[in-house]
Amino acid sequence: MGCCWGSCKEDSASQGGDTNERTHLLVDPVSNNTPAQRANSDDFISRYPNSIPKKTDEQSALSRILQETATNVIDVAALDSHNLEQHEYKERSKQYQQRLLMQGSSQRWHLSAPSLLIDIPMPEKVLAAPPLSYADMDMISLLVQNANFALEELKVEHREDLVVPFRIP
Amino acid sequence: MEKSIERCLSETCSMDGVIGSVLADQQGLCLGVKGKASISSSGVITAIADQVAKLEPASKNPIIVLENDTNQCLIQRADRATVAIFKTSNPVN
Repeated sequence: MGCCWGSCKEDSASQGGDTNERTHLLVDPVSNNTPAQRANSDDFISRYPNSIPKKTDEQSALSRILQETATNVIDVAALDSHNLEQHEYKERSKQYQQRLLMQGSSQRWHLSAPSLLIDIPMPEKVLAAPPLSYADMDMISLLVQNANFALEELKVEHREDLVVPFRIP
Repeated sequence: MEKSIERCLSETCSMDGVIGSVLADQQGLCLGVKGKASISSSGVITAIADQVAKLEPASKNPIIVLENDTNQCLIQRADRATVAIFKTSNPVN
């Protein structure tokens, strides 16, 4: 409530033209100057014709901005297509391969243990091999059946008492 | 009572081309070894048999063959036991 009253009082004071401690020393630049600038812009052009950038100056400025931008921008795609010829590719690949060979002896990947999964030279030969013979199938099936039967019959024969009383006097 | 188990393994090892055989229970505990086979392989053999049996649960227990150029390892499991036979590859193969 106090704030509202204060602002109202301030407005009335500034509108009335009285200067006290609440009036702004710096007047609002936007509200005061913008209409004045708009009104005076034509006069300004006629008054200072040399300082206004003409169309040619604008074009030159634009072209200068374009040039600066072009010098600052690095076009990667253009670099690749322009600078690298076919023989340069070959030279670079040779160079990189030589460096790799120089580094390769010391930093080659060493397997810590020999892997069981190794490529075989002719996989179609292995894949076309005949499957397990019936004799082998019978052999392992018989062994499994016999072992299963033997395990079913396996029983623990206890010859001594499981609970042994200590002879405590 | 375990003589029947040993007899099974011995009979198998006496067959032609068989190098060794391993018998393990359902949990992979080694119950018997004959010939050139490792006791410590029983757990792996049981695990392989269990995993392969999951591929087709409806069918009966499969026979698994691991082989290299010279040897074969046949694995099959039953309700109570898992068996592995190590043998040389057939010259036909």
